[in-house]
Order: sequence, then structure tokens, then C-alpha cells
Amino acid sequence: MYDRPTIDELLSAAVQHFETQVIPAVKDNGKLYFQTLVAINVLKVAERELKLGWSHLLAEWNDLNALEGQPRDLPSDPDAIKTALAERQQQLCARIRAGDYDEPPHETALFEYVLGSVTRSLEVANPRFLQTLAEEDKSKSSE
Amino acid sequence: MNIPFEEFRQRLEGFLIRQTGKDVKIESAVPLAGGASRDMWVIELSIERSHQKLVLRRDTPTTMHEQALTRAQEFAVMQVAFERGVRVARPRWLCDDPSVLGGAFFLMDHVEGVAIGRKVVQMPELAAARDLLPEQMAQQLALIHSLEPPDFLPRPSRTPAQDAIHYCYTVLNNLGVSNPAFELALRWADQHAPPCDQPTFVHGDFRIGNLIVNPQGLAAVADWEFAHVGDPLEELGYPCMRDWRFGVGHLRLGGIAEREPFLQAYERHSGRKVDRTAVDFWEFLGNVRWGVICLAQANRHLSGREPSVELASLGRRSAEMQLEMLRLMRQMGI
Repeated sequence: MYDRPTIDELLSAAVQHFETQVIPAVKDNGKLYFQTLVAINVLKVAERELKLGWSHLLAEWNDLNALEGQPRDLPSDPDAIKTALAERQQQLCARIRAGDYDEPPHETALFEYVLGSVTRSLEVANPRFLQTLAEEDKSKSSE
Repeated sequence: MNIPFEEFRQRLEGFLIRQTGKDVKIESAVPLAGGASRDMWVIELSIERSHQKLVLRRDTPTTMHEQALTRAQEFAVMQVAFERGVRVARPRWLCDDPSVLGGAFFLMDHVEGVAIGRKVVQMPELAAARDLLPEQMAQQLALIHSLEPPDFLPRPSRTPAQDAIHYCYTVLNNLGVSNPAFELALRWADQHAPPCDQPTFVHGDFRIGNLIVNPQGLAAVADWEFAHVGDPLEELGYPCMRDWRFGVGHLRLGGIAEREPFLQAYERHSGRKVDRTAVDFWEFLGNVRWGVICLAQANRHLSGREPSVELASLGRRSAEMQLEMLRLMRQMGI
């Protein structure tokens, strides 16, 4: 549809520019240097979301179906899925506050659901954080 | 700094001349790196030929935090701590009149050392200091928890834990956020919140990153703006939070040491018996609260009030605290 660069290529061009041109130029300005590193990281988060977003959306939908025990049909397009997911999560939050998940089997299922959901968020936001924790757990269990 | 430097220098000189009745000359003023929430400057000056190095801490209009003390209150708290022998920079002069420098400010003695968390946990020159820190941190905390809280300090309206939970709910409601992970954690927190028989003075932000460290260890406790009356045990869990370990994740006390010797030292210095489960709980709740605040920080950018890529990025960093709170819940046996 569009001409190249693709969206990934556009983002990676911007990252390259920041890393090779801007960073060396702002090295001596502590604040600007730090903020530029943050900006680069933000772009990398966006790159990962582009790669993983769709599969995460489906996983989120399926996990919610499993948690609620009432499978709902997937809406037809990504925007409709996002809207429907937001609604379902809002309802879930209300049920948690009402105490529907206070008892162990429900509580455990909810725990596993949010653990999966937060892990997916981190696969986009900071995969290195997940990796570091995994290594730490491994070295702890081998002690 | 919105005031041009020359004007800033003149106004500060004028203020100090009025305060001291002596001849004051500002030699230099350099902004201090770090300290994201306050405007900080290292000021070198001479007062009748005696050279002095001070730190100026100033309000800026955009950095208001609803739970933070005013500069005048923070100054008063530091005076109380200083007089009782807490390791803290000596507070010198307070100016509550925003017309002088564009915001209330105070001056304190400059303390040599490193505050930046990443450096404190990693610098080879500070290896010996890191060995001393757990004992020193415990000793300082015991002393801080014995301070007489000034009347203006916020006091718990429920138990301190319940207050913290309530605060998180309020922030989430105000943001309109529906996050099942936080909802689960807060619900669980509410059911497992420890009681607190004797609330004490607490510093409120006691962790690596807010401690000035030199080769002899803890030189000064900084950043007193979140002081309040609370549960002394919250302040033992707080410095253990993963985000304050600055990349040295396996050392639970701030990336510098194991937790247990620190807790034992605190028991020795304070004469208080420490319930380990309650400390675990406070570390968990600290992660919940910081994760929620990350969303609120991102909102400062998203609302258009304070455009900042740094604030924006905190929204996605929240998940780190969320995962950590879930891991701690599992350790505590959900």
C-alpha cells in the first residue's frame, strides 16, 4: 500500500539517528543526554509493540475467556477488539472490587490471568527486566 | 530557572545579606543533577571572607505533589532531625516568600558524597561503604523513628497500610484506570494489611538514591519532603523494593546487602521487635504504590500539563512494579 520504508523501518531509522547523531552531540549535557536515552527507549517499546501487539491482543482475549468461563466471539477488527477488551477489563475490575474473586479458586485463576497479562506488557515495555528476573530465579534455585 | 542568572545571584545575595547582616558574595551556582522533583543548586559563596558551599532547594510551580511537604515544613523537619543528631545536611536559611526567587526555597550545608543510586550500588570506590551502610541505615532509621513529629505532619486516618491502599484507589479512580493487576493487589492488600500499634515519625522516602554516601558510608539522609507519621515497618520494606536496587536485583536491601542483617541491626538500635511478614507486606505495598504513581506521572505528560518523554515513559515502566508486586504476593502465599 505505502512505499517503503515500512513502519518498522521508519522507527528504526529514527532510533539510528538518535543513537549515532544525537547521543554523541548531547553527551556533555546530563539532562538532555538522559532524556534522549529515554526517547530512544520509547521508540524501541513502540517497535516491540508493533511486532507483538496483535498476538498479545488475541492472548488477552483468550485468557479473559478462560478466566470468565464464558467464551465471547472475537470482534472483527483490531480497534473493535481493543474497545471490547477495555470494556471487559473495566467490568472485571468492578467484579474484583465487589469481592467476586476473593475466594481461592477464583483468586488463583485471577492471579494467573494478571500474571500473564503483566508479563506480556513487559515483553513490550522491558524484555530485559523479564530476562534478569528469570536469571535471578535460576541462580537462586541452584543455590 | 526562569529568572536570568545575574538577577538570581543578586536576589539571593540580597536575601542572605538581610538574613546574616553580613557581607555576602555569591561565587557560583551550579544546578545539581538528579533530584527530578525539585530544583537543586550547589551554591558557593563567601560570607565576610569565609568560604561556604551550600545547596539550595527550591519549589518550582510544576512539581507540586499533593502528599509532599512545603519547603517551610521540610526545613522544619530537617531542623528537628539535625538537632536530634540524625545525619542530615544542616539546614541554614529558609525563604518562604516566592517573590524572591520565584518559589519558596531553603539553603543547607553541602555534604560531599554520591547520591545517584546506580553509582552507590556499583562504584568500586564505595565497596567498603556498602559494607557499612546496612548497619548505618538501621541506626539512622531507629533514630528517625524516635523523633517527635511536628504538629503539621500528616497523620494516619486509618491504619498506615489502609491509608496507603486508600491513596492508591484514589489515584486509580482519578485517572480512570481499569487495571485488574492493581485491583487484585489492592483487594488482597486490604485483607492482609498489618495493624500498627504505635505509629512513629517516618522519613517517607528512605532508600538508596536519597542517601548521600561517601567512602565512610552514610553521610546524610536527604529528601525529607514525604515525612509523615506512619508505620515504622513501612520504612524497612521500602528500601528493599526492587526498583531501588538499581540493577543489583539479588541484594534485597537496595542492591547493597541481604535484608536480614539490616533488620537485626534495626531491632538492636530501636529496641523494637520486627515482624518479618509485615516488612514483606510493606515491600509489596511499596511496589503497588510506586506502580500506581508511575501511571499518575505519565498522566502529567498525557494531560498536556507537562510535556516530557521521561514522564511518558513511566507509564510503561509501571508493569515492572506490577510484576514485582505479584511475585511478592506469591512469596507471601496467595
